[in-house]
Amino acid sequence: MLTTKSTRTAGLATGALAALLALTACSSSEPKAAAEAAFPELAASAACVELREKNPDLVGATKTNALNPHTPGYEVVNPENPDEFIGFDIDLGDAIGDCLGFDVDYLPVGFSELVPTVASGQADWIVSNLYATEERAHGGVDFISYSKVFDGILVAAGNPKGVTGIDTSLCGTTVALNKGYVEVPLVEAMIPECEAAGLKAPTVSLFDSSADCVQAILSGRADAYMNDINTVKGYIAEHPQDLDSAETVMLDYEIGIGVLQGEHEFRDAVQAALVEIQGSGLQAELATKWSLDENALAEPAVLSVG
Amino acid sequence: MTEFLHYLTLPYLLDGILFTLRLTAMGFVGGMILGLFLAAMQLTRFRALTWVARAYVTLYRGTPLILQLVFVFSVLPRAGIVLSPLVAGGVALALNEAVFFAEIFRSGIKGVDPGQVAAGRALGLRPALLMRRVVAPQALRSMVPSLGSEAVTTMKNSALASIIAVPELTLRTQQLASATFDYFEIYFATAVMYLVLTAALTLIQLAVERALDLDRPARASLRTWASRLGRPATGVPAAPAEPDPRRVPDRTDSGLGSVARLTQADPPPRSFGQALIEAYGLRKSYGENEVLRGIDLQVREGEVIALLGPSGSGKSTLLRCINHLEGLDGGAVLVGGTSIGYGDRGGELVERHVAKQRVDAGVGMVFQQFNLFHHLTARENVAAPLRWVHGWSREDAAARADELLAQVGMAHRADALPRHMSGGQQQRVGIARALASNPRVLLLDEPTSALDPELVAEVLGVIQGLARQGGLTMIIATHQLRFAREVADRVVFMAGGVVVEQGTAEQVIGDPQVEATRRFVRAMDSAEV
Repeated sequence: MLTTKSTRTAGLATGALAALLALTACSSSEPKAAAEAAFPELAASAACVELREKNPDLVGATKTNALNPHTPGYEVVNPENPDEFIGFDIDLGDAIGDCLGFDVDYLPVGFSELVPTVASGQADWIVSNLYATEERAHGGVDFISYSKVFDGILVAAGNPKGVTGIDTSLCGTTVALNKGYVEVPLVEAMIPECEAAGLKAPTVSLFDSSADCVQAILSGRADAYMNDINTVKGYIAEHPQDLDSAETVMLDYEIGIGVLQGEHEFRDAVQAALVEIQGSGLQAELATKWSLDENALAEPAVLSVG
Repeated sequence: MTEFLHYLTLPYLLDGILFTLRLTAMGFVGGMILGLFLAAMQLTRFRALTWVARAYVTLYRGTPLILQLVFVFSVLPRAGIVLSPLVAGGVALALNEAVFFAEIFRSGIKGVDPGQVAAGRALGLRPALLMRRVVAPQALRSMVPSLGSEAVTTMKNSALASIIAVPELTLRTQQLASATFDYFEIYFATAVMYLVLTAALTLIQLAVERALDLDRPARASLRTWASRLGRPATGVPAAPAEPDPRRVPDRTDSGLGSVARLTQADPPPRSFGQALIEAYGLRKSYGENEVLRGIDLQVREGEVIALLGPSGSGKSTLLRCINHLEGLDGGAVLVGGTSIGYGDRGGELVERHVAKQRVDAGVGMVFQQFNLFHHLTARENVAAPLRWVHGWSREDAAARADELLAQVGMAHRADALPRHMSGGQQQRVGIARALASNPRVLLLDEPTSALDPELVAEVLGVIQGLARQGGLTMIIATHQLRFAREVADRVVFMAGGVVVEQGTAEQVIGDPQVEATRRFVRAMDSAEV
């Protein structure tokens, strides 16, 4: 009887171990880029040829893009084939890769993990509609800007709370925002202003993804949500009966590509590639392709605190 | 609904399940292994290890898993440790789960009746063997429900690894929800997937519980079934068809009573060998309470001693000091010239050496609460220690067990578990177990005190049979004056932690010289009559 029992126990243990090994031994199936060598013209341009000669280390390398794929138009998984990422930023990253001769793969992380992921060496760069701010740069990255920022304010259809911008019209409202987004301190800055005006302070509700924020507006939990105007327009197009845009706000930020602080060679190569991509009209072309009507080029400039 | 079904069968999400399973497996198995170490560190007598483990438990139980995940993923690389997202997630989960597994293990082990450990030690099991054969199998059975529930918790916690880029089910769900606007359909589909996975874990838990269930009918032999069917109720001991010839007469046997007086003179005068047990100035305290205050006692080979005395007089403690189940605070006790528990220079030995001393000295012990190993049948209770400690073959041990069970009238219950036996039956098996390795000394610690009155006789009968056979040295702590008169060569009366009077039963019980003895004899006599 004892033999049976210990055999069975041993069998259970072996089985569990085998299952564990099998599970951990499975090959990792990270999502792959949608486009491969998608921009041959760019790659063949004199500027890019020269850049590859100047940066031979980048040629044939693979650069991991830390991204937060929750912004339709910029970066999301492809609903038809969720193993791919699609959007303006994905194409832009591929274009830079084509120009400099490297491949791109992806590491999707939470928004607040974008900078730490690059700073800790888990990924090489961030092309994820990330606004370049000094605070974020202090996290250990340098930014190369490429777009200006226009924010839209998403509200319920008819704008029942009469929101007119990041101003005292927000007093007493609940504002849904993505965790870690630059709009958070801007809205929070309204709290003392509302109080000074004798009004109720706005409440900030923080969510992990844009979809959660939109659901908060749809369910009436929040009155306003701020994100890139193109993204906001995308949501309104999906729910035209229920959603509206209150106002477009120009923010004093630029969208930037983040690279590890101190990696000047890579940073400068990306900057030079961006100059070529903008100069050739490709960035504007991509913006049109992804219906980013309000995409205003920003001259590639470096923001560094290191 | 079609959208829901579409997402329920979407390969992208199903692939996410694989990652969820891998995270769960790493968290569960890794957590269990680390948890074992943490539990062991907390149960050891090395204070430094205990404190390290406590600090770890406090740290990991006191911080959110989400922070621990970020720590392993984003902070460790700064120290040069770069793990892939999946491994980082698995490691963080394992580090976190270890704390909870450690507590499950600790409560499982602490929940095992201390009597089981005492019995194992008395039988000469080394600590590792005792843990593996006695404590762990019993603790494991009680831990399975908690372990199953922890597996489900691990699986649900694995969803948090989504923030560190492990492409598991939750991360894929969120990404898909961001891309498609089918928010609810996707979340419902994912919820169903998690439900199926956790339900599967629950089924595994139930299957393991069933596999480990000692009462599982499939594992019971035909013989056990037959014997169970033949018995009206398991809790009530059926009287043997014929009176047991070894049974001692007691006042339930009409007509016998005081006329059948059996003493050390019957059978004719016995001869005793050399001193086998020698105690000198034995002292033992529990905190402020001094239980033994200088015991001097010599027991010769073949002698049967009845140890009498009021509750709290130190009888049990004295017995437990003889084979070093309790350490001494002063004095010495020798069994066949060996001071069990102490080295040649008088230093206290570690338990695994003491175990060998107990085996070499040949000291068997019978406990007031029987302390049969709950997870073993009567036969295994007797046979297993022979294999584990004395290296007997399976066949020899089983044959010896059957022989002894027959001797104590328990052959018909050889396949029964202790919980299905009456107290008297358990104690008879306990005696058989103590006798199995042919000890030179048998210590019986109030062997009938925990029994219902009608079950006392069957156990006393067995002990009396042993006394009559002769040869075996016995010290019996008891309250049964009549029994003491009948079996004891010498009665030792203890009170207040010292031996106040000793001599033949006639002297000590029949004509006590000391007031404490007189009071005790009067009280016991009036209780017995």
